[in-house]
Amino acid sequence: MKIDQLIKELGCEVLHRRKETGVKDLKHFVVSDLMSDVLLIDEEVDLLITSLSTTQAMRTADIVSAMGVIIVNGKAVTADMKAAAKEFDMTLLKTKLSTFEVCGVIHRLKG
Amino acid sequence: MVIDKSIPIKMEESTSLILDLIYRLKIKDVMSRNLVVASPEDSLDHIKTLMKQKNVTGIPIVKKDRLLGILSIDDIFKALDNGYMQELAEKHMSKKLVMLEEDMPLAFAISYFDKFKYGRFPVVDRNNLLVGMITSRDINVGLLITINKEVARMEELLAQSTPVDVHNIRKIFRIRKYDFEHAGNASNRIKKLLVERKLDPRDIRRVAVAMYEMEINITVHSEGGTLTVVIDNDHAEIIAKDSAPGIEHPELALQEGYSTANEWIKSLGFGAGMGLANIRRVSDTFDFHSALGKGTTVRAVIDFKRKKGNDNDH
Repeated sequence: MKIDQLIKELGCEVLHRRKETGVKDLKHFVVSDLMSDVLLIDEEVDLLITSLSTTQAMRTADIVSAMGVIIVNGKAVTADMKAAAKEFDMTLLKTKLSTFEVCGVIHRLKG
Repeated sequence: MVIDKSIPIKMEESTSLILDLIYRLKIKDVMSRNLVVASPEDSLDHIKTLMKQKNVTGIPIVKKDRLLGILSIDDIFKALDNGYMQELAEKHMSKKLVMLEEDMPLAFAISYFDKFKYGRFPVVDRNNLLVGMITSRDINVGLLITINKEVARMEELLAQSTPVDVHNIRKIFRIRKYDFEHAGNASNRIKKLLVERKLDPRDIRRVAVAMYEMEINITVHSEGGTLTVVIDNDHAEIIAKDSAPGIEHPELALQEGYSTANEWIKSLGFGAGMGLANIRRVSDTFDFHSALGKGTTVRAVIDFKRKKGNDNDH
């Protein structure tokens, strides 16, 4: 699925958009609130989906070269996080949906 | 240059040494402990004499080490003008107290001087008992002494370091305890350099993960330390070194899931007890030494694979 499709389906607020054309086919999603676990993953990561709304989530996503982060549960996103998204050239999205609902949508879109 | 409202230096552009110092030094390291105090039952006249004798301009009023108020030279001037020098300190002392705690970083004291415009702050311990006073002079003296020591140490380091190839990366980062605002920053910067150098993404991941875990470990568990990164064409070597406190059970620390992190660190998404095990997992060479009271050193070497034709990951 494409990022624009995901933004629409999840009703995301776009806080920062990385410089890209949006043609990339998103396949690899990591869902975790525990950054230690994110760092254990060997596979490619396209998007990190988390309810941990901190700059550490952004830094961790950068370490695993994710192209973006989705903050769930409508949690507040700080100015520092937006600055980090800009610095790391990363898409930062926020949705009111819960982790469970986000996973459901992604599962459906993946077919 | 005054950008940050609480600390009158531009945080982003300051040397890491100065930032390190104002967070590493605690108020108790620079405050004065020779307290000149008075009791609430002392007269203003008595306090005036005390100020003159001890050459101070503000006196904490205490009862059984508990701070009740502060009497400043301004209060004495007012009493002289209005002729109530025989009245008691408790009646005229300032009870609106702004206090600092002895374990706070020096940065707090600096921001307080900027924020409140007082000449001095009382310092209390955990039990709220008065243990010292801090003035701008105490901060200046404390910083100068420490900077002097640090510069001497750096000059020594400089003399020891050997010139390196300009194509190689060789960096030393100082990592501060509990500085979650910047924790991970060094790793993000190194990772960016590696991306620019178009290293194999899998190698970038391994270097970045090892370094990031080390950086978080120093932030969470140590009293602060350094991360040294040396990268050439064939490998990356990362050394994390701190001087305190060290690990009581080094053999347990390597086990997955063993953690001594507290709840608020866990609330940041760390402290799952995977850090050291994960560093070992991603490295080709892994050394780890720690002893209580002596600090911890972790060394990881990542050999670059550079297999041609395997670029289809990204």
